[in-house]
Amino acid sequence: MASHTRRKLKLPDQIPLNPLLDLWEQQEPEGPDATRIYEFYRSLAEGKFVTTRCITCGKIHFPPLIVCPNCNGEDLEWIEIPEEGELYAFTELKLGAPVIVEDYAPFVIAVARFGNYPENGVQISGMMFDVSYEDLKVGDRVTWEIMEIVGPGDKTRYWYCFTRV
Amino acid sequence: MIRMREVAIVGAGITRFGVREASWRDLVQEAGKAVFDDVPNLDKKDIDSLFVGAAQPERWVFQTHVAPYVAELLGINVSRVISRTEVACASGQAAIRYAWLAVATGLSDVAMVVGVEKMNSKFMSVSQSSMINVGNREFDGVNGFTAPPFFAMVAQRHMHEFGTTSEQLAMVRVKNSYYGARNPYAQFQKEVTVEKVLGSRMVAPPLTLFDCSAITDGACALILTSEERAREFTDTPVWILGGVQHVDSAHTTNQFGDLSHWVGLRKAAKDLYSMLKISPDDIDMAEVHDCFTISEILEYEELGFCKKGEGGKFIEEGESYIGGKVAVNPGGGLLSNGHPLGATGVRQAWEMVMQFRGEVPEERYVNGAEIGIAHNLSGMAQLHHIMAYSIYKRKDLKQEV
Ligand SMILES: [Zn+2]
Repeated sequence: MASHTRRKLKLPDQIPLNPLLDLWEQQEPEGPDATRIYEFYRSLAEGKFVTTRCITCGKIHFPPLIVCPNCNGEDLEWIEIPEEGELYAFTELKLGAPVIVEDYAPFVIAVARFGNYPENGVQISGMMFDVSYEDLKVGDRVTWEIMEIVGPGDKTRYWYCFTRV
Repeated sequence: MIRMREVAIVGAGITRFGVREASWRDLVQEAGKAVFDDVPNLDKKDIDSLFVGAAQPERWVFQTHVAPYVAELLGINVSRVISRTEVACASGQAAIRYAWLAVATGLSDVAMVVGVEKMNSKFMSVSQSSMINVGNREFDGVNGFTAPPFFAMVAQRHMHEFGTTSEQLAMVRVKNSYYGARNPYAQFQKEVTVEKVLGSRMVAPPLTLFDCSAITDGACALILTSEERAREFTDTPVWILGGVQHVDSAHTTNQFGDLSHWVGLRKAAKDLYSMLKISPDDIDMAEVHDCFTISEILEYEELGFCKKGEGGKFIEEGESYIGGKVAVNPGGGLLSNGHPLGATGVRQAWEMVMQFRGEVPEERYVNGAEIGIAHNLSGMAQLHHIMAYSIYKRKDLKQEV
């Protein structure tokens, strides 16, 4: 027993960040990570912010969908979200930011309404950078802006944020 | 139509809540031991069903299939119904509701409920990131839109529309800390002042650290049985009068509508009151889901304790203290107890049992209480659950009240 050496299982030096903590959809047009709303991300890459509207019942969706939950219709069209909207509510995340965007905290998180919500518009959340809570007020005009999400590795994905007009 | 049996809670046990030096497994065993000690006449063989409320064990402790694991840890064999419920922050009350339904319909004779969550670890930013997927991860969570920013915006809109103030928000914490200071199981047992709440670190304006409930470890367990067997186990059964749930088709910001109106809670409360033929005035005490101070203010309003928009005034005038219009969170609420997601709803029922039995310190005892409700919400306040508890059976309610 004295000469017995214990067996060791050596683990990797670093365990990589759980990929589930990557919050963005993979935005792939094909393969196992494919999304059937790929058109949404393709449009973002082209500088357009779009969503789906049901041709049958007229309901506007956000997020964009492949079946209308209002009427089960599959006949959907892509429409552009208006460029300017109104700040409905906002705060600034000073503690407890998700680990993947921790380096950008504190940042403003806002809810803005574009178009005539709820009948004919959307209410969406978005980040705001280079502005603080004290600079903003309910009702301020905002616009959406496309941003690039770079990484992990060579991957580039697309998303949006809000900017004050 | 199925004849619904009367159902009682005949046993209740809880662990200390807080940042516990204990694993998920330890917490389950502690709560199980506590409830078995509470019901010495219970033979484990009597238990035929198990309902486990657990929100994210697969994220926080990397364990799935948790209900069978709980059965093993507690040494019980389940022959009727075994289930784990997950509706985020309200997983615990959902477990109670399904246990109640199983016993009420005769599917189960003796059911056990365990609510448990282990949330603290050395990797807190990763743990907190797991909360982001309670909302729509890819369309809201991705923007950092987790619970504190959401409830901060609810507060901002409530202030904007109704003139509610940060001081009024702070008063909710002051009240709940007063009761929490008299609850030996609570995470925070220190009284705080309005100044202390306002001066604490800003989390997401207008909410400070003390406006928020904490990340907590804890577990709580109950034994439910029917009218036929309740007296075998206890002289002081607490009867379940009924329960309601309401959720609108609303998981993403686009479907929220107005943040300062919790229509789902208003509808759930209306259903509960008409089911039991009672009004808000009949309620003596309420354990409500004060995950944030602003939540309790909206809950006064939507539960009908005061008019819409007057929740701030309600706390300012002391109406939610014991001795006011209705005793709200005499157990200290989530703000004092902490909020181990799956355990919270079960802890609320535990508080009702202790209150009705008179087993709480005098300063937080709601003397003479006949009807109590527990409200447990989940997500971005889309899903609302309310259970009603009483010293009376449902069939005796009308004569007595
Ligand atoms: Zn449609």
